[in-house]
Amino acid sequence: MSDNTTTSKTFSMPLGPVHVALEEPVYFHLTIEGETVRNVNLTSGHVHRGMEAMAAQRNFFKNQTLTERVCSLCSNSHSFTYCMAVENALGMSIPPRARYLRVVAEEIKRIASHLFNTAIQAHIIGFTSMFMHIMEVREIMQDVKETIYGNRMNLAANCIGGVKCDIDTELFSYLKKSLNTIEPMLRELEEIYLSDKMVIGRTKGLGILPKKDALELGVVGPVARGSGIVRDVRKDSPYAAYPDLDFKVISNEGCCVYSRVQIRFSELFESISLIRQCMERVPEGATITPIPHIPTGMATARTEAPRGEVFYYIRTNGTDVPERLKWRVPSYMNWEALGVMMKDCNVADVALITNTIDPCVSCTER
Amino acid sequence: MDIQNTSHEHLLSALKPLAKEQHIAQHTNDAFGNSFYWFQLDMPDNLLEAARSLHDAGARLAMISAYTKQQEAKRNKEVAYHFELGGVTYTLLVLLSDAFPDMPSITPLFRNADWHEREMMELYGVPVRNHPNPRRLFLDETLDAGLLGSIVPLSVMMNGACTKDLWERVMESKGTKENS
Repeated sequence: MSDNTTTSKTFSMPLGPVHVALEEPVYFHLTIEGETVRNVNLTSGHVHRGMEAMAAQRNFFKNQTLTERVCSLCSNSHSFTYCMAVENALGMSIPPRARYLRVVAEEIKRIASHLFNTAIQAHIIGFTSMFMHIMEVREIMQDVKETIYGNRMNLAANCIGGVKCDIDTELFSYLKKSLNTIEPMLRELEEIYLSDKMVIGRTKGLGILPKKDALELGVVGPVARGSGIVRDVRKDSPYAAYPDLDFKVISNEGCCVYSRVQIRFSELFESISLIRQCMERVPEGATITPIPHIPTGMATARTEAPRGEVFYYIRTNGTDVPERLKWRVPSYMNWEALGVMMKDCNVADVALITNTIDPCVSCTER
Repeated sequence: MDIQNTSHEHLLSALKPLAKEQHIAQHTNDAFGNSFYWFQLDMPDNLLEAARSLHDAGARLAMISAYTKQQEAKRNKEVAYHFELGGVTYTLLVLLSDAFPDMPSITPLFRNADWHEREMMELYGVPVRNHPNPRRLFLDETLDAGLLGSIVPLSVMMNGACTKDLWERVMESKGTKENS
């Protein structure tokens, strides 16, 4: 995003900071010519919470709770990656059962997160009945989270060395039943959504992010995969139970808003398949391993959150408080792509294009 | 896979001469067999060459972390650059000192370093040389760089909130302006 100096033909238009796509604050400075956006600059920092500084004042256990609160929709990915970073620094290996249970929690969250994004997209398009329909179907996954983990958003499923919450046979059969209920509903939603003339008219060919720009900007998650980049941490650096599970990395050369929503829909079914495989293959045994002596050292860890790669870096100094804990959320890498996607788009499409990166402001700013 | 291995070997041979002799390269693995390489660079200026090698090999910048490192009695800033190539994580560590107080910008090589370097400048007070777009990212222009790292006594922070001090200061400055 370059300078936004205006000429005699253009004028500057502020948009935000609230209610651009979601109720999170980001402030766009648009340079407009007629109805067309010529340049985009954005200002953020309205909800900076100083979480990295807080992390350096809390012990390893308290930081599990803290990192789970970085983002609401990706909450599980943060505690998951944080735990992996600590485990890497301490040279720990988690029990096989915990590896599978971590994947179950992560994929349940992915389904709920992707559904939320597609619902909001329908809402922005003005397809309100579709928005209501998706949110209603999503409620099945919210119930799953509440029934298994006790919470609808922050699952508190992970802990250093394994998982806090074991899933018994009864809960597994409930989960299996819920997946069987939701799957045909999602197939129906996918068919309506992706073949609806209004959705196609509003989203196909809009918000183009060419592969070259996507590679240069280092975008992640469905934004990268929607521009033809086959990038998924679950395949590139397999972790937890992913090396043992069969799944496809969905990518698409469309580079537009439509192709990104297509990817999110296809990924729902991959997630369902992953949860089913976990339920079939999860071994019996311990769910947690004890924490050894804390050495002085450093480690990184990364996972694939619903919005893309999450990256954690930890430095330990032999005490139970990390010397430094730094993380980078997927949205952080994707914001700059909006400058490319919105170039020469219509003012009315700004909110729709913003939503296509599945933005999270509070986690970008931490 | 062979091409992948060759590019890793090529990259490692390019990075090793830039690292400190006693600490050339560390290789670690996680419990799942993923590889991590760590390089402590000799001086900040080596960063550009190392970043160019990573760029040419097709690596992606994943994150930049800045922090204060306590070494014996000294507290210096250090910056860690994390890259990813074919599932392998490469981290370059660069220690700043009185002799080398700033970092060269790698944004011309990696477009996505833009935000990371701006965050480094304003939140951690690490100066970056030749940044193409050194605007504020999160903090307002009126705040000093590295402000969040400073310790502000509660009495100072609460000054305006629980007493009449702030109001009196505003009125005073207004009065001064009107008089002048």
